Amino acid sequence: MAKWIKKYRWGLLFLLPEIAVFLLFLWVPIVRGIVYSFEKVDFVAGIQFVGLDNYRDILSRSEILQSVRNSLYYMVLCVLIGFWVPCLFAVIVSELRRFQGFARSLLYFPTLVPSVALYGMWLWFYDSVGPFNSFLASLGLDKIPFLTDTHWAMPSIVLMETWQQFGGAFIIYIAGMAGIPRDLYEAAEIDGAGVWQRIRHITLPGIRHLLVLMFIMQLIATSQAYQSQQAITDGGPVNATLTYGLMIIREAFTNLNYGTASAMGVLMLIVLGGLSVLYMRLDKDGVISR
Amino acid sequence: MKKSIAERGILSPYDYKKPTVLAVYALLILLVVIAALFTLYPYTVTILNSLKAREEVFVFPVQYWPHHLKWHNYAEAWKFLQLWHYLKNTIFIVAGNMAFSLVIIGLAAFSLAHLEVPKRRWFTMFFMLTLLIPPSTYIIPNFLNLKSLGLLNTFWAFWLPSAANAFNLLLIRSFFGTIHKELFESARLDGASELRCFFRIAVPLSVPVLITLLIFTFSSSWNDWFWPSLIMQKENMYPLASAVYKYVIPSRSIDWNVKFAVLVLLLIPPVLFFVFFQKYIVRGMNLGAVKG
Repeated sequence: MAKWIKKYRWGLLFLLPEIAVFLLFLWVPIVRGIVYSFEKVDFVAGIQFVGLDNYRDILSRSEILQSVRNSLYYMVLCVLIGFWVPCLFAVIVSELRRFQGFARSLLYFPTLVPSVALYGMWLWFYDSVGPFNSFLASLGLDKIPFLTDTHWAMPSIVLMETWQQFGGAFIIYIAGMAGIPRDLYEAAEIDGAGVWQRIRHITLPGIRHLLVLMFIMQLIATSQAYQSQQAITDGGPVNATLTYGLMIIREAFTNLNYGTASAMGVLMLIVLGGLSVLYMRLDKDGVISR
Repeated sequence: MKKSIAERGILSPYDYKKPTVLAVYALLILLVVIAALFTLYPYTVTILNSLKAREEVFVFPVQYWPHHLKWHNYAEAWKFLQLWHYLKNTIFIVAGNMAFSLVIIGLAAFSLAHLEVPKRRWFTMFFMLTLLIPPSTYIIPNFLNLKSLGLLNTFWAFWLPSAANAFNLLLIRSFFGTIHKELFESARLDGASELRCFFRIAVPLSVPVLITLLIFTFSSSWNDWFWPSLIMQKENMYPLASAVYKYVIPSRSIDWNVKFAVLVLLLIPPVLFFVFFQKYIVRGMNLGAVKG
């Protein structure tokens, strides 16, 4: 025993603070969330076990279907508007022989904008007398109510977020492409492959692994989205941007139903758990750290 | 990489002579230029709007350049609701988060990489499994947990959890793993304690990756507005981002030119950080991508 302690004491001692914070601030909340989902959480009257009532309660709401639909719609839009953009620009920019570093930094710049500043800027851009509508007017087109129309609100949010976030994926793709051996292109060219064929058969397969990972990561991230929807449109107009994540927040902090909110979190965990496991299996060597 | 091979990308010098390839290439470069303008426009227009007079911001159609530069907007923005007070909160949070994640994560990473640990695999699992669970699935119990620990409205609610980050642990551990064990062994033979090995050898040798960690910590604590506004229920404890979100953006009594001045103030630190630490940021993002 004494030998055991002597051998391991420093290793364990150094791990101890990290174990404590992981336990206290990650594992306890995770496990408690599952427990809360079977309880009526009321700090005044006391916590009460209610079985599956929270789950029944949620699934009977009419809003739940709409929020799931909104989240799915948001995810689809993010893929349609946002997913291919960083990849396209990575291919082009990596082919720049001059100003490549400059172009890289420039396209990465929006990623630096803090969310709150982003909201402030884009609220003005989307304003009825903001630059977008100004541009439309100069073309002789009608104004678009970007944030107050049920059809436009969600795409407007996705456009804003794509502007801000594509830089991160862009840089990752660029780095991935830099790892593709140049002689593959040389050999393909000698064999008569055109430029498009080289992109299709060498460049894209070369970053296929990254593309799959980024895709799964995007699904995991977008399915939880609520912050922009909360900040820009507050779930409106007429619940058009009420995502599932935002509904959890409202259930907890507006309606103070912590139990049902926790149950919604557990349901989301069950759906996303599979995706996360898939992601971790594919990302064994931690290709993407963030 | 040899220069002759590095010179070419997907396109070879030969391709540049083909008119169709050249035309498409030029078109795509034009696309990049347009994208670059599209990324720059919000920046420049935010800065220019912050220097306009009150009425000029809402002139339709939008005018890009201000008539007269109104630097006074910044003085007003600065005075408004004691931005300095909220900035102090943010600095406090950022500094604490940096210190706590550096020490706690650093020690654990050092232990996992270089010290004797029984059942190392189990400990690693204990940390890494948390990556499988998306944060917003337990945001509610997380809040209730901080509440029951009595940490709401204290900076501890930021500082301590900032060290519970498996991504950063992974990042530092893999870097420590590249330091030769012999360095520590010879230091131990000379009578150095493990704590000394960590602070005098591991940390100085890992400055680049530690800077990456500090940048991640800085940017997440500088940007985060929603979570702080939940766990800081006393408004004088808000960090700058939450305060701007709550008081500046929805406010009708603040003119938009002054709002833009506030936004510019919010933008400056991350941009400066990027300019100074560019290589560490890119390095942290593709730590594995280059290697793999």
